[in-house]
Amino acid sequence: MRNLVIGAVLVGLIVLAALISFLWTPFDPTQVDAALRLQGPSGAHWLGTDRFGRDLVSQLMVGARTTLYVGVVAVGVAAVIGTPLGVFAAAGPRWLGEIVLRANDIMLAFPALLLAIMFGAAFGASTLTAMVAIGIATVPSFARLARGSALQVLNTEYVLAARSAGRTGLAISVRHVLPNIAGLIIVQCSVSFGIAVLAEAALSYLGLGTQPPTPSWGRMLQESQELLAVQPRLLIVPGVAIALAVLGFTLLGDGLRDRFDPRLEGHRAQG
Amino acid sequence: MLRALLALTLVAALAGCSAGSTAYSSPSADSITIGFSAAPANLDFTRTDGAAIPQALLDNVYQGLVRLDANGAIVPQLATSWTVSPDRRTYDFQLRPGVTFTDGEPFTADTVKFSVDRVRTAWTISLKSQMDVVDHVEAVDPLHARVVLKQPSNGWLFSMASRLGAMFAPNGVGNLATTPIGTGPYRLDRFNRGDSLVLKANPGYWGPKPAYGRVVLKYFQDPTALNNALLSNGIDVISSVQAPDSLAQFASDERFTTIQGTTTGEVVLSFNNAKAPLNDKRVRQALTYGIDRKALLDTAWAGKGLLIGSMVPPSDPWYEDLAGVHPYDPAKARQLLSDAGQQHLTLRLRIPNLPYAVDSAQVIRSQLAAIGVTVSIEELDFPAVWLKQVFTGHDFDMSIVAHVEARDIVTFGNPKYYWGYTNPTVTQLLAAADTGTPEQQIADMKQVARTINADAAADWLFLLPNLIVAKKGITGLPPNQVGEAFDLSALGRS
Amino acid sequence: MMVILRRAGIFLLTLAIASIVVFAFMAVLPGDPAQVALGVNATPELLAQTRHAFGIDRPLPVQYLDWIGGLFTGDFGRSYVTGDAIGPQLLDRFEVTLWLVGAATVVAVVVAVPLGTLAAAKHRTASGTVVSGLSQLGAAVPAFLAGIVLVEIFAVSLRILPSGGWTPPDADPVAFLKGLVLPALSLGLVQAAVLTRYVRSAVLDVLGEDYLRTARAKGLRPTRALIRHGLRNAAVPVVTVLGLQLATLLIGAVVVERVFVIPGLGSMLLDAVGGRDLIVVQDVVMVLVAAVLVVNLLVDVLYTVVDPRLRRAR
Repeated sequence: MRNLVIGAVLVGLIVLAALISFLWTPFDPTQVDAALRLQGPSGAHWLGTDRFGRDLVSQLMVGARTTLYVGVVAVGVAAVIGTPLGVFAAAGPRWLGEIVLRANDIMLAFPALLLAIMFGAAFGASTLTAMVAIGIATVPSFARLARGSALQVLNTEYVLAARSAGRTGLAISVRHVLPNIAGLIIVQCSVSFGIAVLAEAALSYLGLGTQPPTPSWGRMLQESQELLAVQPRLLIVPGVAIALAVLGFTLLGDGLRDRFDPRLEGHRAQG
Repeated sequence: MLRALLALTLVAALAGCSAGSTAYSSPSADSITIGFSAAPANLDFTRTDGAAIPQALLDNVYQGLVRLDANGAIVPQLATSWTVSPDRRTYDFQLRPGVTFTDGEPFTADTVKFSVDRVRTAWTISLKSQMDVVDHVEAVDPLHARVVLKQPSNGWLFSMASRLGAMFAPNGVGNLATTPIGTGPYRLDRFNRGDSLVLKANPGYWGPKPAYGRVVLKYFQDPTALNNALLSNGIDVISSVQAPDSLAQFASDERFTTIQGTTTGEVVLSFNNAKAPLNDKRVRQALTYGIDRKALLDTAWAGKGLLIGSMVPPSDPWYEDLAGVHPYDPAKARQLLSDAGQQHLTLRLRIPNLPYAVDSAQVIRSQLAAIGVTVSIEELDFPAVWLKQVFTGHDFDMSIVAHVEARDIVTFGNPKYYWGYTNPTVTQLLAAADTGTPEQQIADMKQVARTINADAAADWLFLLPNLIVAKKGITGLPPNQVGEAFDLSALGRS
Repeated sequence: MMVILRRAGIFLLTLAIASIVVFAFMAVLPGDPAQVALGVNATPELLAQTRHAFGIDRPLPVQYLDWIGGLFTGDFGRSYVTGDAIGPQLLDRFEVTLWLVGAATVVAVVVAVPLGTLAAAKHRTASGTVVSGLSQLGAAVPAFLAGIVLVEIFAVSLRILPSGGWTPPDADPVAFLKGLVLPALSLGLVQAAVLTRYVRSAVLDVLGEDYLRTARAKGLRPTRALIRHGLRNAAVPVVTVLGLQLATLLIGAVVVERVFVIPGLGSMLLDAVGGRDLIVVQDVVMVLVAAVLVVNLLVDVLYTVVDPRLRRAR
């Protein structure tokens, strides 16, 4: 319960910051002003300015948008492909299940960051490319989870009854399986969200993530790393933002899991 | 906090295992480690472009007949003296006696003929065309080489001071990518690709013994890692600071001194002159008026560096300060854009993924937004992708690159060069400058610099400074970086 | 035994398909390696000649078989950019990365097992909650940021450890160890945080088992009982997670190698990507993929060995 509350508050803050940034930010987050470079916190600039004289608060707010975008794309790709794949593997014929399992094994050989680097080489660096890659690499964990829980649902009596009543596999999957496993899938989404946010930071650091001038927390870190000794604020602010975002989504996932499946405390975080 | 605590415990445990906890330092006083930012892909500058290879090897391992001194003057190296015929086509070089290559071969006039001829036959890099003016080379006697040019050329001898003039041992060119053989004060000890290059003093060197018997050139792609290496005593010198905002750290530290001079690296905002909309001079001028270069320099390079206004660094004899010709004037910029019918302009700024370019691009994007120009930034992997798409494919509106080669203003005479600038007057002036007298050369080159500036053929954002940070007590570091080489034999200690 | 053989068969099949995926991916990449190698002034004739020399003018299946055949004999081909044989360099770099990953694994295990056990044994007390909370927070920090901060503390401020670089163990063991500390910590601590949670929940599961209650009833102190009977059973899920983490570490090394300027596989991959040296990218990716698959195989095998029940179940 505590996890759920803390996680929901942190995630809520990020969503709120992102939503407000569409309507209002203290300054234009990409407005460069040489005269305002590297200023400490002040009444006008609550967290100060960066090397380009850009307002840190504004960047943080718009960066929250990027963070959510990153997670939604990566998790969206993974869930939309992985969940049906897992369900069909469970509900469909045996050979289909076997193929999905083997395909999963192959996918597992391409960890997220590696796939993102390969995609970056092929299609050029961008947030979208990177996150589609992260999403694809996360498909197996969704497929596995969906298959496992779908098998459990399929063995329940009412599904067996539906089957004997002549319902097709597809109909059963849509009517009975998906609603029953939705909770666990949402948990997995939340956990994967945090992993995607970390991956964006790492890729931005390597120059394969978010491209300028789009503000992103990973990029803010990358642009200021040389100033750690001189202006630690410039790394602490985005660093804390990233850590809290990841923490928020992980806790939210944990909290939700406790609700949906109290027995499975702590398991399955990485599929 | 926990992680920091854990780190402390573990470090204490591990540091306990090792002998003492003294600072990480060079193995011996006879050795010096210099940090560079761009690593050479291999050691063959005859077939591989880029500044990193000659920076490490020229004047240190390879030597030419002549070299550039710290002020950009041509001085003797393997030639003791030379004369030029009255028609300025024939150069007679007196060669230094008793010089041998590290594989034991003697250096003679035949070597000169072999090396100069080889540029045309075996080299593949684009610079080789600077040797096209050579008609033939004769070995008059072992210590007397004669080079005859097709027509007089002021630029040729200057080129001979670059990598193009490097002397190669006829039997030592079999594996240039890994085994360089030269006559210089150092020879290759070890090349760890992507990491470091280790040079050792050449025991058979004809000149004075260098102060450091062993030099490690260590490569750091990441500017922060380069800074940290010096701060933590991992290296002794940063050859070129890539994160000038961090200079404060070194200035406040008693251990270090900072050198600041000039280079030949013009950071150019290049325009695609051959393609609409930047084939319109008014649009180019508008962009030039719309960029506050002082603010850009302050932001992108911490105010270090020089505003130049054209493609000429102060170390060239025809330098003039043209930085004020197009002052920052957003109103005028808007007017010019509206004259050209381009009030809603969108431009693609396709840049290499290098710190100076990425930083400058963000400033330019923000400044041009103020005059109604939308700029979309695309970072490309440098060199591979940038070379292919922008430099070769001409697929860009604007780009930002530091043109570091000396006297590269001549590229404005080549309509096929990536910025597609076509101006027959400039081409003619450049040709006349090369063949004319040295006085005429200066006059003509000044005219070229003014013309391209007036045409806004590009926007010269700033000249990269020579920013070196070194441990106190290291002497002989180059105040200016005017040639391709980083001269290691001049280094000493006080 | 049959289980292991079957698993090995699946491994080989997976490896073969993965190699086709890697090759196909590189084959469709934009960019002409010959153009990249020759630079900007290449003539069409020279380009054709270079393509022929690289062997990239042949049909794709032939190129694939040639590449795979080469891998079996240790021939990784030659770099398009430098012309050097890739094999020896790849081996050097792999060794470096293995040291780093090995050290990071040690860090992760040494930190996570005691902390996770503690958190489980005291899961209703304040200290257990603190450890859990900290491990949550630790897992939320990007590894490269941890690296940057560690460098600032131990290399720049305290100057007791190098900020980066690599010394081979045979050249100078002391310098080697010192150089390994910070990279191994920044890579290992984040994983330790993740692992701690798994250790905690595995131990919690075990604590609830009947035989442990029996042992305690027979008079063994709880910690004693746990160490004597519980840890072995808790090891099964932990080893599985550790195996999955090894794959994460291998790839995570890419980032940490950049922070610490370590010439491992990761920096080789990034350099090759930047230089569009596609054959090198292809080789490095294949080696990493194979390494991940081998780790997965070993974990599976180990799993069956540690937990006899699974021998029948599978």
